[in-house]
Amino acid sequence: MAGLRLELASGMDRLITVNHPDSNQARRGKLLNILLIGIGLASIFAAIYSLVYLVTHGPNPSSNQVLTSGSITTLLVFGLYLLNRFVSPRAAAIIFLIGLIALISYTDTPQQLINGRSTILYVLPIIMASVVISPSMSFIFAGLASLGLAVMSSYYAALLTERLSPFTVIEFFLLALVAWLASRSLEQALKDLHLLNQQLDQKVVERTRELYDALTREHAEASKNQAILESIADGVIVFDSQGQAIVANPAVGRLLEHTSDEIIRYRIERLMDGKVTPTVREQIVGLLQDEEAHHSNMRFEWGEKTLSASFAPVYAYKNTPIGTVAVFRDFTREAEVERMKSDFVSMVSHELRTPLNAILGYAEILLEAVYGSLADRQRGVVARIMTNTKRLLSLVNDLLDQAQMEVGRLAFNITSFTPNELVEGAHSLMLGVAQAKDLRLTYDVAEDVPPILSGDPQRLHQILVNLVNNANKFTEHGSIHVHIYRPNTDHWALAISDTGAGIAPEAQLHIFEPFWQAEETATRSHAGVGLGLSIVKKLVDLMQGEITLSSELGRGSTFTITLPLTLMQEEMK
Amino acid sequence: MTNKSALIIEDDDDLATIFAEAVRAAGYEPEIIRDGEVARTRLTEIQPEVVVLDLHLPHVAGTSLLSQIRADPRLANIRVVVATADPRMAEITRPQADIVLIKPISFSLLRDLTVRLSAGSGKQPGAGPG
Repeated sequence: MAGLRLELASGMDRLITVNHPDSNQARRGKLLNILLIGIGLASIFAAIYSLVYLVTHGPNPSSNQVLTSGSITTLLVFGLYLLNRFVSPRAAAIIFLIGLIALISYTDTPQQLINGRSTILYVLPIIMASVVISPSMSFIFAGLASLGLAVMSSYYAALLTERLSPFTVIEFFLLALVAWLASRSLEQALKDLHLLNQQLDQKVVERTRELYDALTREHAEASKNQAILESIADGVIVFDSQGQAIVANPAVGRLLEHTSDEIIRYRIERLMDGKVTPTVREQIVGLLQDEEAHHSNMRFEWGEKTLSASFAPVYAYKNTPIGTVAVFRDFTREAEVERMKSDFVSMVSHELRTPLNAILGYAEILLEAVYGSLADRQRGVVARIMTNTKRLLSLVNDLLDQAQMEVGRLAFNITSFTPNELVEGAHSLMLGVAQAKDLRLTYDVAEDVPPILSGDPQRLHQILVNLVNNANKFTEHGSIHVHIYRPNTDHWALAISDTGAGIAPEAQLHIFEPFWQAEETATRSHAGVGLGLSIVKKLVDLMQGEITLSSELGRGSTFTITLPLTLMQEEMK
Repeated sequence: MTNKSALIIEDDDDLATIFAEAVRAAGYEPEIIRDGEVARTRLTEIQPEVVVLDLHLPHVAGTSLLSQIRADPRLANIRVVVATADPRMAEITRPQADIVLIKPISFSLLRDLTVRLSAGSGKQPGAGPG
């Protein structure tokens, strides 16, 4: 039913629509068509009615006339309709309205002219002209209506009882003015509406294009990201918080020796099976379970390979953690090179130390008069051989320590030691060196320091000797003091103070850097390559301690090392 | 004085000579062996009072020689001075050794410690580098 109604409506629409490039003309043509169809239907109805009347009641002049005029009107209307639709709506409208005026003028009786019916009928073409031709045409048709009225008046002049008022013509023009104004503003409103529509259409087109562009861009961006992810040499996996991979690139498959399918399908625990040590396994699982965990350059063995991995949390909208991204890198070659480098350094330093050890030993044998006593000058030379060999040996040791720390291979031997013995050992070793410069070397251990501590006594000895040696180098008069104390319940501290030249504030910034010297001249007058303090700093860092320096030019320096206080388990019992 | 014997097991000629001179100065008659395998055999034949033992040896490692000495009741009274360049190995062998010295080892230190050993002062676990 609704379909039929729609069909009818669209059929009607097709019937009255006028296709014209000018939308105003099309609209006017459509309006004229409505009028023509209305009149046409009325004429057809009148013709049919009079035909039926003629058939049923027999011939009579009135019905004949109606039939004739109805038929003619129908034909004329049809002709105008065709003209309007297919040739020129404007011409059709002009002919129609002129015809209407002519019809009124021709058909109205003198009586109808006098009682004003004709005058009222003339109003119709004037108003219609402004709507179906153009607003200003109302004036032309006011003129034509006036002409029609004048023709009628003069034709029926003999029959008229009174003269027609000239004001009627003025009224026609006033009416034309009103019609002109009204249809003009109507057309203006329609024009505005049309413009508005056009702008709206333009906007829709623009928005659609923007949306299309944005979608295209997003798609391109996504494919670009995918391409980058796929071509990246490092292995990238994103795990959800359950340790399940949700994104993985092809490189990670090669690194972890699994197919991409396995990586996405299996949980991390299964991927690690038989590839890593239990400790590494535990560490990785722990990292993936902690939604906030960051870990850079974690190095571990994965089967035959050495891998380096970095883990970082992935945040979604509003900082909600959604998992962890892990980046794996093949570190096998680098690890091998590091191992070789470290082995080489160990080997070289061992090879250097052995002959140095022999030189020292032989010099000592000479000095101890094992092979007979030496003359004073000979003793002096041998003592110098020993001093220089010791210096060389400590240099080799520093370089070895530096190299081992660089590859993270420096090991600590944690055992129990007594702070007193530590400081006494360093004191007895360095006393001669200090006395050679007429410096006093003193020490004290505070009473609240536990008698036995846990740590690496050899490394602590090295730290202490390094710092005392450093103080000795830069102090010309006065003393060096080593103070062991307990700054708080969880720490113990070593403070090495001197009455030397002090260190300038700008120099304090660099003093712990490797190979850095306090001043250019210091290099020659103060033996060493500038590794002492950097090694001390690194050792203290590795022991989870802290080293600070307070110094003022001309007032001396104090290096303070604070270390966590840990007691040996067996000592605590 | 000459009847007390010491065995120096050290593959480096110079260090072996220096160690030998140090123990000689302490009143021992040193015998030098430069090979682990030879030392293993020699230890079944003689009963030295003191052994200065390097851990890095050809053929048989110093650690296995140390275990051999400690397992042999015949050598129960032997005093072992371990001489090593590796602090980690020093810690590992400390429970079995009488003295552990980390290279470089000074002539006078070895001499003085050996004198103390012969005086029967026993273990010296706290001894550090020379």
